[in-house]
Amino acid sequence: MATRIRRHRILLTVLALAVLVGSLVAATRAAAQAPETPRRGGVLLAAIGADAPSLDPHQEQTFATLQPVAPLYSTLLQIDPYRYPNVIGDVASEWKISPDGLTYTFKIHPGIRFHDGSTMTAADVKATYDKIVFPPDAVRSIRKFHYSAIASIEAPDPSTVVFKLKFPSASLLSNLASPWNVIYPKKYLDKDPNYFKNNVVGSGPFKFKSYTRGSTFEGERNPDYFVKDRPYLNGYKFFISTETSVRAAAIRSGRAHIEFRDLPNSEVEAIRKQLGDKIVVQSTPFVIQFGIAINNSVKPFTDERVRKALTLGIDRYTGGKVLHALTGLRDVGALTRPGTEWAMSPAELEKIPGFWRDPEKSRAEARRLLAEAGYPNGFKVTLKNRNVKLPYQDFAVYVIQEWRKIGIEAEHRPLETATWYADGRDQGNFELMVFPAGGFIDDPDQLLAPYVPASPQNWSRFSNPAIDDLYSRQARTLDPTERRRLVIELQKIVLDHAYHMPGLWWSRNVVHWAKVKNWVAPPSHFTNQKLQDVWLSED
Amino acid sequence: MSTYIAKRLLLIVPTLFGAAALVFVIMRVIPGDVALLIFGGDQAGHIDPKQLEAMRHRLGLDRSLLAQFGTWLWGVVRFDFGNSLWTGQPVVEELLIRLPLSLELALAATVVSVLIAIPLGILAAARQDTWVDYLVRVFSIGGLAIPSFWVGILIILFLVIYFGWGPPLEFTPPWVNPWANFQMMVWPVLTVGYRYAAVTTRMTRSTMLEVLREDYIRTAWAKGLAERAIVIRHALKNSMLPVITLIGTEFAFLIGGLVVTETVFTLNGVGRFMIDAVAHRDYPVVQALIFLIAFGFVVVNLLVDLTYAWFDPRIRYR
Repeated sequence: MATRIRRHRILLTVLALAVLVGSLVAATRAAAQAPETPRRGGVLLAAIGADAPSLDPHQEQTFATLQPVAPLYSTLLQIDPYRYPNVIGDVASEWKISPDGLTYTFKIHPGIRFHDGSTMTAADVKATYDKIVFPPDAVRSIRKFHYSAIASIEAPDPSTVVFKLKFPSASLLSNLASPWNVIYPKKYLDKDPNYFKNNVVGSGPFKFKSYTRGSTFEGERNPDYFVKDRPYLNGYKFFISTETSVRAAAIRSGRAHIEFRDLPNSEVEAIRKQLGDKIVVQSTPFVIQFGIAINNSVKPFTDERVRKALTLGIDRYTGGKVLHALTGLRDVGALTRPGTEWAMSPAELEKIPGFWRDPEKSRAEARRLLAEAGYPNGFKVTLKNRNVKLPYQDFAVYVIQEWRKIGIEAEHRPLETATWYADGRDQGNFELMVFPAGGFIDDPDQLLAPYVPASPQNWSRFSNPAIDDLYSRQARTLDPTERRRLVIELQKIVLDHAYHMPGLWWSRNVVHWAKVKNWVAPPSHFTNQKLQDVWLSED
Repeated sequence: MSTYIAKRLLLIVPTLFGAAALVFVIMRVIPGDVALLIFGGDQAGHIDPKQLEAMRHRLGLDRSLLAQFGTWLWGVVRFDFGNSLWTGQPVVEELLIRLPLSLELALAATVVSVLIAIPLGILAAARQDTWVDYLVRVFSIGGLAIPSFWVGILIILFLVIYFGWGPPLEFTPPWVNPWANFQMMVWPVLTVGYRYAAVTTRMTRSTMLEVLREDYIRTAWAKGLAERAIVIRHALKNSMLPVITLIGTEFAFLIGGLVVTETVFTLNGVGRFMIDAVAHRDYPVVQALIFLIAFGFVVVNLLVDLTYAWFDPRIRYR
């Protein structure tokens, strides 16, 4: 009898333990699945690979400007940080589009204050977009071509902005969510449209704290931010270092929590090996393609045969394999990101010179064209570049050694960011230049703008009325199938004439400490940089 | 002696004037237009010429070279180097952010290099062609052959991989937080110090070997003096003149010449400032920096000359 009771006791104990362990496991799982409660405080430390040429995102096209200043500003609309490429409001609380697609009306959130204490009104939004779409003389507006549909911008009352269009635009709403179109207070623009090249007065979740050129850029929490209970962080700080290994070491040592742009696979693996689950790696495609801008206005590149030889001389498929581990450059594609609705199929692409699968056949054709153009022994040329290693310089090294195989000797000349822009974009002071083409979303208006003859992004300085016409038609075509046809046709013209030389499409590794919460890497390093929802689980 | 010092001090004026004039002319002869760089503009030729002219006027670039030079010199006399054409901030303010870092690095690296180089150089000379000499030569040739930036990256990786620790990314002046300053500066100081110790070690060894072969040293040996007394008391001082010159020149060079080391250790120093300023055709900054570096060279050379007299009693300045 006593033995039976003992057996029962043991059985009951085992059962009780099993129930307890089961409950604990279930509770732990539930806790793990429950959303974490955001923690307030802390300063997000980020490493960045270049210094800003100026602080005005309207006039610049580099992450070096946008990433540090984006948290200081608001935009009219924004790309949803969690559902790329959905568009949501930022200062716009609601909007409606007229049935004919020619009038966009936006309502502005009430009570938004700039960091100087003044209230944001529709007049500030209008002044900002007037500067972008209809820039005054001597003010650069890099992306005004994205807004060619806009006829006028009106502010009928302090909380309403109306965009009137010349024709319906397929991409306007997305383009109004551009992270570059930060809203400035009108009163400063009235005094000096270039005021924001060196000054910051925004309405974003963070206020400007300090900027030491070449060293650090710092923002602090804006207690008057119009989004309730945001931001979570007390501030953020960017450390500027052009050395990839230094930025990677900064992450490994915890001196920086995140590198928003990209780190090469080799560094990522080393960091992962050392820090294990203390870090998180978010890998995404990248809406950026690294290629070569060919200055079509200087000899010998006025000759199409020479330009074609350049593009035929590069084995992109091997390049994608070689450069991926080093730089993240991977995918072979034309002027829109491979795999997207706007991209050529591989079969279409492989018919175009420079994209043939057989590198020897391409090189033989390149040599033939060079000989026909009067350069049987090749020629010497200078390839200018930006002095940012990843992936600019690695890409250039690969391209140079490929060209050598067809007799073209290219001297590699890296330049400071400001000089690179001045020589490439502003003055055309180059023969060949490493040129990244991309956008903040996969949108043909953005991705094809560098090939429109009058665009400030057309570093290659070529002109073809057919491209103008196709760009303009695709921008106003609302039928996706017809628009795709026009987009593909435009790309074929650029590639057939070798006006510009696309290289490889980039992929992105964002490495950050696991304590950095609520930040999702989109396929662009320009979007989701406001940091208003980001928090640190520990200091 | 005081007359000599006064003469040398007066000579500083024409030397600096010459350096300033040279830099002024060179900066304006090299291609590139700062007004164009500041404006940007959509593309070449798309900028409104009137606006461009207005910008040149605002920057004072439309005046004659002589007038521009005169204005600048008058500013220099008042320690006003004008405003950076790129950032719009006063050059002195921009410089004051970076100068303490560069001075600290130059000074500390020089001290480290001297502390390493002089004993090693003496030891190598006193033990010529022994394993000690070979070891010192390997050390010094290594320092000359291995680029500082590579040593710097290796140091950072070593610290990060084996200790999970990396130097701070932002400079803190020693008077604000000596410990934070030490944590950041010790590594570049050691890196640069090693490089310059290598140069100085070789110079010390060579000059010591020369002096140790002098007749008076042979006499000292014949008198039965101890090796330590011969080397330290009789040979060292006389072998130091070229070494001092080298140390002085190195120090002046270190203030503005450490661009790569500054990049590796994320130091916001004068070297990187200079490179950025040249890239932006930021005339006032480049002129101010070169002027100050020239000033540094002149002062260091004067100090070196004055130190000669202490080391070599035969030298008397009149």
